[in-house]
Amino acid sequence: MEAAKMASPKSAPKDAQVMAQILKDMGITEYEPRVINQMLEFAYRYVTTILEDAKIYSSHAKKSSVDADDVRLAIQCRTDQSFTSPPPRDFLLDIARQKNQTPLPLIKPYSGPRLPPDRYCLTAPNYRLKSLQKKVSSTAGRITVPRLSVGAVSSRPSTPTLGTPSAQTVSVSAKVGAPVSLAGQRFTVQIPSSQPAGKSGTPSTPTVQNVLINPSLIGPKNILITTNMVPPGAAGDSNPLKRKHEDDDDYDAL
Amino acid sequence: DRQTLVAVLQFLRRSNLRESEEILRREARLLGDDLGGSVATVATSSPGVAAVAAVPPGKGEARGHCGVGSSSRREPRAVGSPRAARSLGGSLSCAVVVEDQPDVSAVLSAYNQQGDPTLYEEYYSGLKHFIECSLDCHRAELSQLFYPLFVHMYLELVYNQHESEAKSFFERFHGDQECYYQDDLRVLSSLTKKEHMKGNETMLDFRTSKFVLRISRDSYQLLKRHLQEKQNNQIWNIVQEHLYIDIFDGMPRSKQQIDAMVGSLAGEAKREANKAKVFFGLLKEPEFDVPLDDEDEEGENEEGKPKKKKPKKDNVGSKSKKQDPNAPPQNRIPLPELKDSDKLDKVMNMKEAARRVRLGPECLPSICFYTFLNAYQGLTAVDITDDSSMIVGGFADSTVRVWSVTPKKLRSVKTAADLSLIDKESDDVLERIMDEKTASELKILYGHSGPVYGTSFSPDRNYLLSCSEDGTVRLWSLQTFTCLVGYKGHNYPVWDTQFSPYGYYFVSGGHDRVARLWATDHYQPLRIFAGHLADVTCTRFHPNSNYIATGSADRTIRLWDVLNGNCVRIFTGHKGPIHSLAFSPNGRFLATGATDGRVLLWDIGHGLMVGELKGHTDTIYALRFSRDGEILASGSMDNTVRLWDAVKAFEDLETDDFTTATGHINLPENSQDLLLGTYMTKSTPVVHLHFTRRNLLLAAGAYSSQ
Repeated sequence: MEAAKMASPKSAPKDAQVMAQILKDMGITEYEPRVINQMLEFAYRYVTTILEDAKIYSSHAKKSSVDADDVRLAIQCRTDQSFTSPPPRDFLLDIARQKNQTPLPLIKPYSGPRLPPDRYCLTAPNYRLKSLQKKVSSTAGRITVPRLSVGAVSSRPSTPTLGTPSAQTVSVSAKVGAPVSLAGQRFTVQIPSSQPAGKSGTPSTPTVQNVLINPSLIGPKNILITTNMVPPGAAGDSNPLKRKHEDDDDYDAL
Repeated sequence: DRQTLVAVLQFLRRSNLRESEEILRREARLLGDDLGGSVATVATSSPGVAAVAAVPPGKGEARGHCGVGSSSRREPRAVGSPRAARSLGGSLSCAVVVEDQPDVSAVLSAYNQQGDPTLYEEYYSGLKHFIECSLDCHRAELSQLFYPLFVHMYLELVYNQHESEAKSFFERFHGDQECYYQDDLRVLSSLTKKEHMKGNETMLDFRTSKFVLRISRDSYQLLKRHLQEKQNNQIWNIVQEHLYIDIFDGMPRSKQQIDAMVGSLAGEAKREANKAKVFFGLLKEPEFDVPLDDEDEEGENEEGKPKKKKPKKDNVGSKSKKQDPNAPPQNRIPLPELKDSDKLDKVMNMKEAARRVRLGPECLPSICFYTFLNAYQGLTAVDITDDSSMIVGGFADSTVRVWSVTPKKLRSVKTAADLSLIDKESDDVLERIMDEKTASELKILYGHSGPVYGTSFSPDRNYLLSCSEDGTVRLWSLQTFTCLVGYKGHNYPVWDTQFSPYGYYFVSGGHDRVARLWATDHYQPLRIFAGHLADVTCTRFHPNSNYIATGSADRTIRLWDVLNGNCVRIFTGHKGPIHSLAFSPNGRFLATGATDGRVLLWDIGHGLMVGELKGHTDTIYALRFSRDGEILASGSMDNTVRLWDAVKAFEDLETDDFTTATGHINLPENSQDLLLGTYMTKSTPVVHLHFTRRNLLLAAGAYSSQ
């Protein structure tokens, strides 16, 4: 740390001198000059927060002016909220005793990457799909909303996967319009291809793999992949996995 | 004692606790003769009574630790009568009435104390006078009393809201304390009101736990005789309430010996705290044949040595088939099985070990220093993989940056789209799944929301852990360079984390004064190690993964058993918060470094301090033993790396029962002999040390332009 470059006592305001004195009393001799400003700002912010809270409490109690009890109450509430301290020792000893009684769990062999259940991991996709605004020409059928399934295996963020629109998945009811909370959930998005040449109605399972989603590859922008649905009747014989050029239009980068 | 008993009976009657009163009266009548007897023997101060007096405070503390909540908290002022009643109730269930007496008398004496805040200074100066006039051989031991008494009396005054008396008490006596307590005294000087104490968990713990002193029997007799005279009874009550005096038979210790062992916030360690058996041996490495590489052999045999056709057996782990009595059983704690990749790694390890340089006083290691430039004082944690292929830095801007140390760049697995396009049947599929387009020497991992204070690679180099001020420990995958899990448990800054030497388990320690043991596949900790009085600043696994060492800001090191969470060793002696720990490769010894600039060496089996290495002038942040344990390297804030002769430091140890029992440590002043070399850096504090598999020393730090 740079040596303290304190303003000369004559020119520093009184509060800054008080802060410098506090640092000296606590035995801190080397500090950046910004520290005093930070301390002043903290003191100002803390005091105004407390006084504002005290004003609210005193008006709630229908008092004419703020008195010491209001301030005391405000301090206490703020302490419980922002300035918590770690649990007391006997509490820690107690929970430690409880936790340490259970034997260590056995380790299952050959179980791949050992991670907690998916709900507790950060490996789920953190994006959602929205329905396409514009209609694709030819088959111009009903636009059905994309169906999202919960609990099935992953999807690829950048390629629409093909699947039959037939009821193969359980749709999350009535949630598509509202923002779906994605924390800790996995979705399979099954989007039939936008080509008029679809597939015949034979169900074909999309090739799904247990691939870890790499949302960081998507980057800071949220890429919403819009979908285009075709009615079940339309069938196509194109390679379901091949990306179409039209799909590039569908990428709305926000 | 008789008086206090009568007082208690009156108390209970006044509070309408008739039943308790009856029970107490009945039992007191049984003890009536004993009471008379004990009063008589106090004057003669026979060892038997001294033992009894010493034991109950210990039992009281033991009960506190057992979680019998009523007697663990000492709040003498507030709820005297329910406490007396509850402690009586507790004692009845334990059916040991003798245990009861000190609790009750302590409670009542505390009541009496309330009226005498102005006399505290007199008591203290009276004791001071007595100790200074005592015999030389006893003075050193009795001087240990000054600090805990001073702090407890001061806290008592503050807690009972006698602010002016507290201030004048502090003014008068704080200069008499030992120099190594100065930091504590500074904190104390800022605690002048009861509200200040509420937020300071460390001081509250100090008030409620007993400060341990180890005093020889002769000195103790002297002290007791003096204090039990009429006018000094108050101090005797305070001593009984707040101090635990561990008496040993033998000669009083000298000032030097005492100074070596004291310094922690809780005094020294009780002898019974260090009695449990510790399995410090290493686990047997699995034996398997090393497949000989013909090309390798040709390279090595350039000098024309005869080729060995037989496969070599792996005898890195043990030379004999017998079980090491000091080693834990293989299945004491569940450990993950060895995968094929782990076996390949071990083979590589052994090959490297064969080419390892034998270090010694004549053959010092070369040191390669990795300087982090332009870190702007933001480098807070460093780790290097075991095979020295990657280095990670944790920074104050909450990023974690991974660099490749070898020319081979860091590659992540391809995206799902590209993965579907590769040929899965090819032989080099493991290379094909790696993405060449985004290969780079540096990968930055974002995710934490506070400075990253600890990082640790997993032994199989698949995972990276980082712990931060935001209270979480994050697990990152080094194959996709993304965050996999955030382990939430500490709600306060986490200061250090480390993977177990076998992977799967990891330990973390933080501001909430506990260390936690986790497994990567459990979102909650498996073990909680509670007992420290202040933040846990450093956590390390023992090489056999059965024990965890934690160093703390309360200036002690504790060794915990992973199997049941018990604290098996307490090491005191440092005079500042501990910031680095290192186990010797054979598992028998522990080296610790703290802000006081000393490296202390401990024998784990016996629980004793066996060496002290003086030389550094500032905090020691890095300690590491060489691969075979011959050299100990230490790196410090004073911009130097020092090498010490570990073989010499650990030979000829006096670790017999006498030393264990009495704590008569005789540390030889041989720091200068053990120092093999001091290497200065250019104003770069050393944050991390690592011996490669061939015993090249790598060091890391951030350049600070001052």
